[in-house]
Amino acid sequence: MHVLSTILSLLLLYLSTWAWAVDVSQEDAVRGFFGNSTTSGSGHTNNWAVLVCASRYWFNYRHMANALGMYRTVKRLGIPDSNIILMLADDASCNSRNKFPGSVYANRGRHLDLYGDNIEVDYRGYEVTVENFIRVLTGRMDPSVPRSKRLLTDDRSNVFVYMTGHGGNEFLKFQDNEEISAFDIADAFEQMYQKKRYNEIFFMIDTCQANTMYSKFYSPNILATGSSKLGENSYSYENDNDIGVAVIDAYTHYVLEYMESINKTSHKTMADLFDTYDVKKINSHPGVRSDLFKRPLDSALITDFFGGVSQVEVSPPPPPPPPPEEEEESLSDVQAPIEGEGERKPPRHQKQQQRVHASALSQTSPDAGTWRQLRAWGSIAILGCLVGWVGLRK
Amino acid sequence: MSSNSPLARDPSTLFFQADYVRRSIISAYWLIIILALPLWWHTTSIERLSLPSSQVNEQIGHDLRIPIRIGLDVGSDSSSLALRLQQAIDALIRNSPKRWEGLDIHISNTAAKGLNNVDKLYTVVNSDRIAVRGRQLAFPMRETASVPELAETLSDLISPLASTSEQDHRVAQYSPRYRLSFTLLNEDAAAGNFFTEWDVSDAIAHHISPILSQLEVLHNFTIESQVQFHAPLAFSPRIVNDGFGIIPEDLTVFVNSAEWTLSSSASNDPVLHFVIFVPSAERRPLHILDSNGEVSSSTSFLLPQWGSILILNPQDSFPLSKLSSPSLRPVFSAFSIHLLSLLGVPSLPPGIKEISDDHHVLTDWQLDSLLRYRALSNARGSKDTLRSIVNLVDQIENMPVGQDVRGDIQGALVALEEMFELSKASLTETFRRSARALTLSSRAFFNPGMLALLYFPAEHKYAVYTPMFASAVIPLFVAALRELASWRRQRNERATGEAT
Repeated sequence: MHVLSTILSLLLLYLSTWAWAVDVSQEDAVRGFFGNSTTSGSGHTNNWAVLVCASRYWFNYRHMANALGMYRTVKRLGIPDSNIILMLADDASCNSRNKFPGSVYANRGRHLDLYGDNIEVDYRGYEVTVENFIRVLTGRMDPSVPRSKRLLTDDRSNVFVYMTGHGGNEFLKFQDNEEISAFDIADAFEQMYQKKRYNEIFFMIDTCQANTMYSKFYSPNILATGSSKLGENSYSYENDNDIGVAVIDAYTHYVLEYMESINKTSHKTMADLFDTYDVKKINSHPGVRSDLFKRPLDSALITDFFGGVSQVEVSPPPPPPPPPEEEEESLSDVQAPIEGEGERKPPRHQKQQQRVHASALSQTSPDAGTWRQLRAWGSIAILGCLVGWVGLRK
Repeated sequence: MSSNSPLARDPSTLFFQADYVRRSIISAYWLIIILALPLWWHTTSIERLSLPSSQVNEQIGHDLRIPIRIGLDVGSDSSSLALRLQQAIDALIRNSPKRWEGLDIHISNTAAKGLNNVDKLYTVVNSDRIAVRGRQLAFPMRETASVPELAETLSDLISPLASTSEQDHRVAQYSPRYRLSFTLLNEDAAAGNFFTEWDVSDAIAHHISPILSQLEVLHNFTIESQVQFHAPLAFSPRIVNDGFGIIPEDLTVFVNSAEWTLSSSASNDPVLHFVIFVPSAERRPLHILDSNGEVSSSTSFLLPQWGSILILNPQDSFPLSKLSSPSLRPVFSAFSIHLLSLLGVPSLPPGIKEISDDHHVLTDWQLDSLLRYRALSNARGSKDTLRSIVNLVDQIENMPVGQDVRGDIQGALVALEEMFELSKASLTETFRRSARALTLSSRAFFNPGMLALLYFPAEHKYAVYTPMFASAVIPLFVAALRELASWRRQRNERATGEAT
């Protein structure tokens, strides 16, 4: 009887904290919506990409393929390997269950080996942790970490961040044993902003309930897109019968398919990319968040984030007197191999979906902090009273 | 066991059921829990030392102002001319305050007392043509008519346009160390007619080292060089009438980063690349085309903050092997110009001659304005960094702040303070302090220990702690309460017993 009443009161306690939590998270969202922003999003001189596959094990083959597909695309469009941080939580190509060792394919029929002969994985296996990811973004590294594992960006850098894995409402699971929350990424981006580590960020995520992951951002000049809205799964696109598992996710597949039509000099814009989202094909509702982004989407080129250099200054012929160089700006072109397209099949594989009963709390504003502490002590006091009452009742 | 078994005893007679034993057992549990609380508190709390926020805010409030003293020594009417010149320059400053940010110009008559012993005084002397020597400007003064002209010339020398935002994107960010990587790329050695070696150390000694030695106050340089024999382009050049051409659009993707390895990744210093590209024998000559598709006479181009590329079409048809010093001369003179503009060294305004006594590449005017540019931007950068550290630590509650972070911040504050003090006395020292402030504040920001702990909602904490502690603590609570209750009952009974 006592125990029962204690449990009941605990339950009540949980419910009440939930109600508060919802309030605070809404406040936070509003704050994020009117987020502070001052810089104008114009010229960048270098491009960087951080590509993260956060899940391991053979049955998550498609996540490795997602990240490798993005890797191939950004590299083809001109971002050098030294500017790409590729994090692969597992090595599907060398998995003993892989019938095609040393290869990773993203389509049925295995037309294009994404692993290829020129690939640089910067973080792999158990190195892919939430902590390392945050360290890459914020630059808080041990001095001994080599150059290839660092994001050496400055205020002229456009950064493309792609993440894939299993996720849920406001979190993405890393390695089956930890998770990164939307707040962690938002805070990391804010720290990058404060240290002027980026000019603009393009954030793309393919996971279940992906759109919740960018909902907490509050730093300026971030464009974000995700594969599915709150409460919705992201699905895989197709599977290969010889490999035996799903080879790519639908959202990433269609994004990559569109990217194949882009070359280094393309003038296609982000608006064009987002227009190709087709809910019927992708089987989820992809989202776009552009309120933090200063430029109109139809003037933000895809190659601003996926390309290499955008400016060149041709110098006058060598012998003549010192420099005033004339400036020429533009973009250009290179042929790219076309990725083979497999037969299409309706999606069958469902992603695992995870839910937490936890909801979001503001952690940034000091008011919320003291409020939370007050609440914690309050609940301890209530707990104490209840136990006291139970003990004395007899 | 039945009650009338011989073994059955009244529980109250058992020695371990004695009240005092039971109570001391229960209180022992509670004692341990209470004694352990501080330890638990200590191990779960984050070290957050307080930052010297008020000092940071105070230093942020200061602006670095670098005084520039110019003495006019142009004959008898120097003092009146000085006054006019001061007015002319003040007018210029009012017109474009951004360009003159942080600079205080004082113009005086050199004859005035006390100025001769000031360190680094710029002087203007009369001469028949415009020239600079050391910190002296020779200028043809023709009474007051030439004052506006002189003001313009001085402003070009003191605050060249190069140091304003327009060119900002070309200049590499300040770093105390740079790596210069020189690469000779043969597009395709298999096609024949390629270079196997080059006199690079000679060329560097002649063209690059003099610059580096003059800039050693600002940066430390490491040089590496290499020759490669296969460096395919990622696009096909256009065919033009006498060879091949690259259109401006293709220039932006000229660097085939996927296949060229242009520098070692041995350190984290920023790298400036200098590339000589020798087209394959099948694709010569290779020209740069202008936007109309016409062959331009330029052979080199600059990628902002990255480096410079020069296309070298070998003239000779006989087999080549060595790129000798004479043929490297034009190449490296182009590289040296590019190096200067990547490092933000302003060029002398056109029409000004340098009369140098020694063989310096850069005049003192140029070096000083570079020092001023870097000192001002470093000061700004370090103040921004300090401000953002303080903001972030306030904003993110889980962010630890250790002793070394605080030490670095204090070091940066000291450097800033010294910088403000020394700004009147010595430009070089001002710059050194600004660089130190920037390095220390960045190191504080990037301290690996400052990684904020991952975010856990309060619900997560309850979810973790409740199953662990509730099962242990609730019985303890109940036992304690029962014991308390029975103790009170006993006391009451005793009291009533005594009363009756």
